[in-house]
Amino acid sequence: MIDKEITIEDLVDEYPFSVAFLQKKGIKCIACGEPIWGTLEEACLEKNFSQENIQKFVDELNTLNKTQS
Amino acid sequence: MAIDINNVLKTFGITDVNQGVSTGNDWFDTNGTITSSSSPIDEKEIAKVKNATMEDYEMVVKKAQEAFKEWRLVPAPERGEIVRLIGLELRKYKEELGALVTYEMGKIFQEGMGEVQEMIDICDFAVGQARLINGVSLQSERREHRLFEQYQPLGIVGIVTSFNFPVAVWAWNSALAAIAGDVVIWKPSSKTPLTALATQKIIGKVLKDNNVPEGVFNLIVAKSSVMGDNFLEDKRIPLMSVTGSSAVGKRVGSIVGKRLGKTILELGGNNAVIITPNADIKMAIASTVFGTVGTAGQRCTSTRRIIIHESIYDQVKDSMVNAYKSVANKIGNPLSENSLVGPLIDVHSVNNFRNSVAKVQEEGGKILFGGEIMEGKGFESGNYVMPCIAEAENHYEIVQEETFAPIVYLIKYSGEVENAIELNNNVPQGLSSCIFTLNMREAEKFVSAVGSDCGIANVNVGTSGAEIGGAFGGEKDTGGGRESGSDSWKIYMRRQTSTSNYGAELPLAQGVKFDF
Repeated sequence: MIDKEITIEDLVDEYPFSVAFLQKKGIKCIACGEPIWGTLEEACLEKNFSQENIQKFVDELNTLNKTQS
Repeated sequence: MAIDINNVLKTFGITDVNQGVSTGNDWFDTNGTITSSSSPIDEKEIAKVKNATMEDYEMVVKKAQEAFKEWRLVPAPERGEIVRLIGLELRKYKEELGALVTYEMGKIFQEGMGEVQEMIDICDFAVGQARLINGVSLQSERREHRLFEQYQPLGIVGIVTSFNFPVAVWAWNSALAAIAGDVVIWKPSSKTPLTALATQKIIGKVLKDNNVPEGVFNLIVAKSSVMGDNFLEDKRIPLMSVTGSSAVGKRVGSIVGKRLGKTILELGGNNAVIITPNADIKMAIASTVFGTVGTAGQRCTSTRRIIIHESIYDQVKDSMVNAYKSVANKIGNPLSENSLVGPLIDVHSVNNFRNSVAKVQEEGGKILFGGEIMEGKGFESGNYVMPCIAEAENHYEIVQEETFAPIVYLIKYSGEVENAIELNNNVPQGLSSCIFTLNMREAEKFVSAVGSDCGIANVNVGTSGAEIGGAFGGEKDTGGGRESGSDSWKIYMRRQTSTSNYGAELPLAQGVKFDF
């Protein structure tokens, strides 16, 4: 289960599909070939997404995860 | 050299599952999550490493603190002797460690060995520097007083390295830190933990044979949830040296800055080559192709932009495309002698490459060569790409970013060299730059106060592949840090100004009277 506190490193490792999903939303998880530091929430806030939007991303990622598995 | 990777792993005692925490010779059985290291060559798992827990981290920091108390008392030339012996040991394992770098990270074997050579070179440099940790003697304004500056050991140095130079960057930092009397805690990239383990095992013998205390050279393989912000916030670590993206560097700078700690930040580049009408074009092309496709474009100093005068633009463009056609036949397994370009580190990097190729076209650019993902026999991992040349303009959003992959943008300039320099400087990053010209005025302008704003500004030498003798680093979003040669050693030390009174009077500075 993905939540907004997950680190980007864990997100990239455990849910690799999320990298492309978040990139489409303008959030880069990978820079210089390495995961950026911090949590999903921090990465979203950096791009000025609201808490509402962040929760929406989390829900969409969890739905995507179900599709993947 | 025919490389049997199983023999290489055996040489370093790397088994299916490995311990990821060491304080020198002691290795610790940790209970953290498991990191699986796979090769970008074929995506096969090489081995697993047990990550550290918070308790392991705490144990290592305490060990390092204890070791520092002892290590700082060892005379610097004696510390240099340990670094000399480490350099000798690295020489013995140059091929094996170089092969492991290649297998775990994907750079070609020549570059893998080159990386180990850099480790050896910085050890040699540090040995000499160990006898030259010099302060200055100054003239005191007070009679019978002596004024001088000296450098003292700093403490624990945190070193965070990236996958693209998985071992050399550790050596740049730790060789200087060691002669400075510091102790190090190394957090390697989670993509390349095995090269870190191998390095630690190579130096372990030297440490043991010479009774170097446990805790001087520490290694912790850990997830960022265990060793992330808490590592940066840790006041017991006065200096953090971090190599990575500008995004990571900004976070590091902010967190370490809040506690007024010191940082060495080696971050992203957006490195340009300027080719003027006065260039030796043959030389420029040969050098630039190495800069663009070497290490599959995954060096901080890889050439990202080529700024070409309009009068020679078509000639340079055609020469670049022809050179890439030759390189196209030499993409493949980096352990093979025939390969010049290996794979990207993983599928995410491949996707970034693909996105950049698409984005430059969306913004109006034109692909002149490459940009495809390689398919077929030998490319099953999906990590190999055909290096790309694109025509673009400097202001494009994608050109302003660093794509960590082999995509280079050709940008036209007209008029005088000042216009090319303006384009060179007009990006957020400021790591490496170069000009190809045989015209002295152009060359000197480029390296003058109104020239390149980068940390590295070369003349008739490409952007990629620095020697260890010079200070390495860059400005602006590249972070401002300097490591490796020149006087970079100073940041690993605590600068101290001393005034000593050997007279019987007590005069105050500036002639102040304070009688009571």
